[in-house]
Formats: sequence, structure tokens, C-alpha cells
Amino acid sequence: MTEYAIYFDSSKCTGCRGCQVACKTWNELPSPIYSDEVEFKGTYQNPPDINENTRRIVTFREKKRDGSRYFIDWAFGQRACQHCTDAECVKVCPSGCLQHDETGFVTFDRDKCIGCQYCRSACPYDVPRHTGIGISGADIKINKCTGCPDRIAHDMEPACVHTCQPGALQFGPRDEMLERAEKRVEWLKQKGFDKARVYGKDEMGGLHCIAALKYDISMYPSYVEHPEGNVLTAVENVAKPLAGVAAVGVAAGLGISYLTGRGYKRDQMYYDEKTHDEVDVDTGEVVRHIDKEAGER
Amino acid sequence: MADKKYPDRVIPRHSKQTRFTHGVVAIACIWLAISGLFVFVPALANAFPGVSQAMRVSHRIVGAIFILVPVISAITAPQGFKAFCKKYFKKWTPEDFEFMKKFVPYMLGPKKVHMPDQDEVKSGQAVADGFMILCGLLMAVSGVVLWLGTSVWHAGAGAIMVMRLLHDLGFILLIVFGLAHIYLGAGVFQPYRGMARVMWKDGKIPESDALYHWGFWARKEIEEGNVEEEK
Repeated sequence: MTEYAIYFDSSKCTGCRGCQVACKTWNELPSPIYSDEVEFKGTYQNPPDINENTRRIVTFREKKRDGSRYFIDWAFGQRACQHCTDAECVKVCPSGCLQHDETGFVTFDRDKCIGCQYCRSACPYDVPRHTGIGISGADIKINKCTGCPDRIAHDMEPACVHTCQPGALQFGPRDEMLERAEKRVEWLKQKGFDKARVYGKDEMGGLHCIAALKYDISMYPSYVEHPEGNVLTAVENVAKPLAGVAAVGVAAGLGISYLTGRGYKRDQMYYDEKTHDEVDVDTGEVVRHIDKEAGER
Repeated sequence: MADKKYPDRVIPRHSKQTRFTHGVVAIACIWLAISGLFVFVPALANAFPGVSQAMRVSHRIVGAIFILVPVISAITAPQGFKAFCKKYFKKWTPEDFEFMKKFVPYMLGPKKVHMPDQDEVKSGQAVADGFMILCGLLMAVSGVVLWLGTSVWHAGAGAIMVMRLLHDLGFILLIVFGLAHIYLGAGVFQPYRGMARVMWKDGKIPESDALYHWGFWARKEIEEGNVEEEK
């Protein structure tokens, strides 16, 4: 099947957060319901980061720029799963909960999640979050963007894309989305945004979230400059077969030892503490004398 | 035939508290290995996700027991803990070195290789048990960070990865030393038959077995009167 992607044009985004709301609504994710429940931490991002019930947020960064018409650059970005082709989360997931679906998006099967949170530590974008976090670990389940496979299966766009009023989010075959992003970046550069760039073409084997970034990448906290898998993940993948080899090796060695020890017999001994003699109980023969005077023990 | 009838004597070796602590830690360790496999082996977690989740919960509960029981045991019996450390951290005798040199040939040919006398803790025993204790500590520290660092506080991804790797390493080492420990301690190895009694029954060892395994210690105990007739 054709690989699909969500295309984000940061130059069209108005920061309305409609995508956040649509994501929550479609996926039935709860939100804080009381006034001022989310503490203001000096950022327009609300909530400040993705969390166990928020799969997508709009990021806000502003920076002074002398000489520009408005003296300020205000960058809106998207923070959600990037749906990597070389998805580290899929590689480390021990239960097969995280998988690529046929469109290339990284989806999860909630019933298969065992709450180990390996995915979170492996993700270069720090995306997977978990519900039910607690000391017992009984109800921990992953939560992250899936790309709305249920909607895609019915020829609909992901909820965030569907709701985007300025058309900053678009959905379609990945090649087509890349082409749009490249054209847009070219246009942005002509308009004087010389640091504009496409993100997602080659990162992590190619992302299924393609972005046309208007400003320098540092203005978008969710886009990592050179994302890569943690080398420890690869080491860990060696540790597993190594454990198997160790177990088989030790079992084999002990098996040989057992065979060589079969039929081993030992005489029953008695130690006479007065004479310091070790005596064979069956024959009464003194087999050894401990010479205390000579310093023997 | 001997003219004289020699009494069957036993030497007390491990206290009730030591045996209880060892028993709890041993069972916990086996359960932790089994329940840990459900995360360690993807095929298991994949085939039984529900069971894996339950195993993970049990891994936490049993993990806490694995850590707390020996700590409480050491705190409640400081003299015993001190004596335990003294036995394991001692200057090696020439016999200790000889024991280590002969250990592998002995394991593969006990009928031909004869081992030297040993004190209360054999040199090989000190090395193997020492590694097991170190592995246990490694597993405990990394396990607590993996557990609480993903529930009570949020440990960084790098720290979690390192701890997971250490947990895996500890697991591999425990497989090696644990299997060997069970093989010898449970008396599967022919010359070690009956050894299970010292930890899993009344904590006593028959005189003849004690003389064979820990000659220096056995004779000292008998000379000091720490020996009793088998009931």
C-alpha cells in the first residue's frame, strides 16, 4: 500500500490549536475541566507538553528579530509522534504493541501494551506517554498519536488534518506531501526566510510527518536536528541472545559435570577430636591424622 | 568392618534466620527471573500480553521482597551480618588458591581430582556467592530506578536505558552463577548430595559431609564441641 504522511506547513499555521482539540475529541481523550487547572508556566503551549491524555500540541516560540516588519518571529510547530520509518519504539517494544501499519504510521494495540515504557526511553523525540502510571504498574498503557487509522480506513483524513482551517495540516501520499513541502520551502526562501527547510525527508529513515519549517529549526522544540536511535538499544538487543547462549552454555557444562560425577562414592568419615584422627566409619581405619603440633588444622 | 560403632553426628551450620532469609531471597530470585522473562523475551510478551502485565506487577512486589528481606535480616541481626562479612572477606590461604585452581577439573572429574581442606566458606564459594550478591545489588539498584523512575519520578531516557542494560547484564550473570549455585547447593552434583539440608531443612550438616567440604571448619567445630548426635 502507498505510504502516507501528514504534512505540516508552519508558515500557514495560526496557532489556533484546533488540531489539539480535534485530536482529543476524536480519540476521546479527557482534558482538565476546571478553570486554571493547568498552571501557567510562561509558555503559550497549553498544556506545556504532550502528556498521557494529550497526543498533540502546538508549540510556540518567539524571538526578537531586528529589521523585520514586526520585529519578532513567532513560530508555531507541531509536537506529536513523527511516525518514523526506523522507529526505535517499535524496535524495543517487547510485546509487539507498537507496529507500523500499512500506511507507514506507527500505531499501537492498547491490549498488548504491558506498560514497560521502553518506548519512551528509546524515542529520540520523547513522544510516547502512558496512562495509569503508578507504583503498582498495573494499569500502565501507552498513549500517542496513531495517525487515526480508523479514519484513514474509511477514506477520511486524520482528525487534526480535517479540522485545520488554514490548511497548515494536510494528508496524502508521502511522496506528494514531500513535494508540497519542498515547493513551499523554496517559496519561503524566495520570500526571505533563508533558514526555511523541509523536515522529515530522511530523518529516522524518513518520517511520516513532513514539515516545512519557516524559521530556523531551533524555533521548533519538537524537531530534533540529527535524531538517532540510542546505541544502548542495539547493545540491549545483543544482550537478549547472549543471555540465551549463557543459559545454554552453563546448562551444557553442568550436564557434562553431572555425567562425570555419576557413580561417585565417598567413604563415611568420623573425626576423633581427642586423637585428632579421621576414621573410616565402615572399616575403623585411621585414614588421616591431623598433626596439631606441626600446625595442621 | 569396624569394631567400634561410631555415632552419626551433625554440625549446625546455618541459623533459622539465615535459612529463612536465604529461602525468601532464593524463591524471590527465581520468581523475578521467570516474571522478568515476560518482558525480556518479546515472543512471550507478544503471546501473553495479559499474563505479562500481571507478571510485571508481581515483579515489582517480589522485587521489593527481594530487596527488603535481606536488609531487614541484616539490621535485626547485626552480629550475624558482621560474621557473614568476616567469613567472605578474609585473607586467602594456600588451600584457597589450590581450590580455585582445581575447581574446573574437579567439576568435570570429581573421582580423580581431590580438593584441599577449606574453612567455613570455600574460596570458590566466596567468589561465586560474592558475584551473586553483587549481581543482586546491581539488579536491586537498577530495578528500583526502572520502577520508581517511571512511576514516582521521571528518570531521563538515558538513565533508563543504562539501568535497563545493567539489569540485563545482572540477569545474564545471575543465570550463570545462579544455575551453578542451584546445581551445587541442591546437591545435583553427585559429591554434593545432601547439601540442600543446610539451607532448606534443619541447617545441619552430617559430620562426614562437613569434613569433605569444609575440613578446617568441621574439625574446629567438633573440637570446640559444636557437634551433636543425629536424632
